[in-house]
Amino acid sequence: MANVLVWTVWVIAAFSCLASGIAVVSFSNPFFSALALIGNLASLAVLYLLLSAEFVAAGQVLVYAGAVMVMFLFVTAYLGGRADAPWAGGPSWQQFGAVLAAGAILVEVIVVIGLKAGGRLSHEARIDSGFGSPHRIGRVFLTDHLLAFEITSIVLLVAAVGSVILGAHSRRSETTGELVHNEEARART
Amino acid sequence: MSEPWWISAIKGFVIINIVLLTFAYTTLLERKALGRMQLRYGPNRAGPYGLLQPIADLVKLVRKESFFPTAAIDIPYILAPVVSAFTALAAFAVIPFGNGWNIWRYHVNGVVANVPISLILVFALGSIGIYGFIVGGWASESKYSLLGSMRTCAQLVSYEVSLALSVLGVVITAGSLSLVDIVHNQAHSLWYVVPQAVGFLVFLISGVAETSRAPFDLPEAEQELVAGYHTEYSGMRWGLFQMAEYVNMITLSGLAITLFLGGWHFPFAHGVDFLGPLWFFLKLLALLFVFIWLRATLPRLRYDQLMSFGWKILLPVATVNALITALVVVWAN
Repeated sequence: MANVLVWTVWVIAAFSCLASGIAVVSFSNPFFSALALIGNLASLAVLYLLLSAEFVAAGQVLVYAGAVMVMFLFVTAYLGGRADAPWAGGPSWQQFGAVLAAGAILVEVIVVIGLKAGGRLSHEARIDSGFGSPHRIGRVFLTDHLLAFEITSIVLLVAAVGSVILGAHSRRSETTGELVHNEEARART
Repeated sequence: MSEPWWISAIKGFVIINIVLLTFAYTTLLERKALGRMQLRYGPNRAGPYGLLQPIADLVKLVRKESFFPTAAIDIPYILAPVVSAFTALAAFAVIPFGNGWNIWRYHVNGVVANVPISLILVFALGSIGIYGFIVGGWASESKYSLLGSMRTCAQLVSYEVSLALSVLGVVITAGSLSLVDIVHNQAHSLWYVVPQAVGFLVFLISGVAETSRAPFDLPEAEQELVAGYHTEYSGMRWGLFQMAEYVNMITLSGLAITLFLGGWHFPFAHGVDFLGPLWFFLKLLALLFVFIWLRATLPRLRYDQLMSFGWKILLPVATVNALITALVVVWAN
């Protein structure tokens, strides 16, 4: 009974993951693409839940599907022109190349998984009750993966400082008309 | 303790209905209290003391024509209020309202779903609920709606950060992300509102902003934006948005009670803990009244004031509060 439930949820989540992923790249309206990406991240979160990683799933929804994608929607709603039909697509040779590349990567992934983990997939992994808890994840972050964790934080800090500098710069040029003029002239040439 | 699935289902059904009833009568309480504070009576025609006013409002909303703008994009336009209302109602599932009872052969927990990371779940549901407001405003294809949803988006994203940081102090002190554990930890110690007074203030202020209530109701500033993101909605679709806002306010008050005000515990006594839901409800009413009181008292902020207050005052205060709490907890251990 429980096994059937897990399989059903897995199949639904996996297919909605694939479908929304295809939708992200095939919608021509960026707003719909962003909505599909939210669906994609949410179905990934369901897959994490099936792997007993509740904290990662909740973090995925909170950070990526929630906070990050809000920014995407904000920008596309402000800037994006609204094509009414979500389906339009780019040039056909681009689509052809994209499908070819995606197929190649899929084959590669299947081959690598088959070679590396062929025998182990049939067994169920043994996990204890503390698996995936915030406590355990925090410990791993601050011991085994400390370097990656800290480097990521520095990268994010640089990005934040960079965006502040970019924003401050454009504001200054709004107040002094001379500077804007020079920059516009530079941009035109 | 585990319980059969059907007990959880019954509890979920009962809780959703109680929350909806609370929502309906919060609107009445709000109109009554606002009326009294402005030296008038408020609604007093439908039933004794106007007590049937929410029912009358509901009948009116259901029977009203659901206006559909020709330019609106249909699927997002219809789904947006559903998403908002669903996430608002779902969040209440993890808020504990009692100690649990032994009824006949079964043990009934005082919470619909006891998840170890329930606090994060509430925030995750809240962050999904924002999409209802944004997508609804965008799909209405009206400038007022779009501007309103942009304001909602900017405001909610800004204040979500300080809201999350303000509860960090409680999480560090309690050492758990489970709301049930947090309530249990407050049983035999001071309620966290005392050691985390700064966190409580930041939580309350950003909570008012998160639910777009006055003085932070810029997304719906009627003088500037007609009604913000729900300008083009009418009938029960508008009702769903309104319900989402009020239920968010109720959930947020419930969260504040759980995190800072001892949850369902009665102050200084544990003999009456079996009446947990009653104490919880009384605290909830008091907090809801504070929300209404704020609306009656404070004028709306300007947009730049809202942003600079959120980023330059609230966020640093919340961060410093979390840092100091962490230092104190580490030092005490």
